[in-house]
Amino acid sequence: MKFLQQMSVIFAIYLISVLVSNLLPVAFPGSVIGMILLFLLLLSGILKPRQVDEAGDFLVKNMAFLFVPTVVGIVEYIPVLMDNLLPFLVIIVVTTVLTFAAAAWTVTAVIRLQQKRGEGQK
Amino acid sequence: MSGILLSLTAEPLFGIVLCVAAYAAASFLNRKLKTPLANPLLIAGAMIILLLQVTGIPPENFQKGGSVITMLLGPATVALAVSIHRQVEVLKKNFLPVVLGCLAGAVTAMVSAYMLSKLFGLDDSLLMSLLPKSVTTPIAMEISRQGGGVVAITVAAVVVTGILGAVCAPLLCKLFGIKEPVAQGVAIGACSHALGTSRAITIGEIQGAMSGIAIGVSGILTVFLAFFF
Repeated sequence: MKFLQQMSVIFAIYLISVLVSNLLPVAFPGSVIGMILLFLLLLSGILKPRQVDEAGDFLVKNMAFLFVPTVVGIVEYIPVLMDNLLPFLVIIVVTTVLTFAAAAWTVTAVIRLQQKRGEGQK
Repeated sequence: MSGILLSLTAEPLFGIVLCVAAYAAASFLNRKLKTPLANPLLIAGAMIILLLQVTGIPPENFQKGGSVITMLLGPATVALAVSIHRQVEVLKKNFLPVVLGCLAGAVTAMVSAYMLSKLFGLDDSLLMSLLPKSVTTPIAMEISRQGGGVVAITVAAVVVTGILGAVCAPLLCKLFGIKEPVAQGVAIGACSHALGTSRAITIGEIQGAMSGIAIGVSGILTVFLAFFF
């Protein structure tokens, strides 16, 4: 029962967030709003981690599995991609690698800069 | 295939059982093969696609159960907050690196997609379809639609990008010598949204939490950056 209660709390937060998302003038996913909302509820102490953590960890740990039907669904899109398949794939591979590198190096560089500054102040 | 069996596949539980069975088999293969390319998600997806093709079971029948599983992705994204909250000290300490990392990622994703599309001589509608492909589906769809892109192509590009990120994340970390968990997480989330995050979680909780934050931050930044294109 505890698990179901926890799951229902997360579902309810998601539902509220979908409502908020529908009211927003710009497209912003309910799931991300819900993530921010749950984080704020935990941070403020309104919700305790023990009220959501079992179901939360269950969902997060199985997230890769939850994508299986999405991956299967990619077949539907093959006809629209056929005309430009090669540029499509090349662009995706190259941009993904570049984006990864840019983000990873920036984080690493800023962390190092902060550490240097921290040492300088001491 | 006989009528009775075919009507059975129209039950929502068919798709659910098939997903669980395929994922269990794929996880087993993944443990045996010990290569990051044998990604359980990719193998499970491929097995089901193959099965549907060979048996002639309509994909709509499979997706009756599949959509129930997909429905749980929303709550699962919400639940990332539990991991993020557990890593709140890491986040506080690294707030600036995380935000700047997402910014660098979002700019690189869009500029590189723009330049490569031009290089290939793709038309503007295709370019706009590919521009937002590194962010989460709802945001990417909206940017594509507003810019005159083809939404179906955007959805396909988002999913293929995500699969690529999920499969290659550990490889990319090794290739670029990224050892800092915060940097790994942010980079995975910035380049391959929730799909990549599902893999980041398996690397470590800090990686998963940071990747989760990167989905949101990169998404917001990309909405603003899209005005420049």
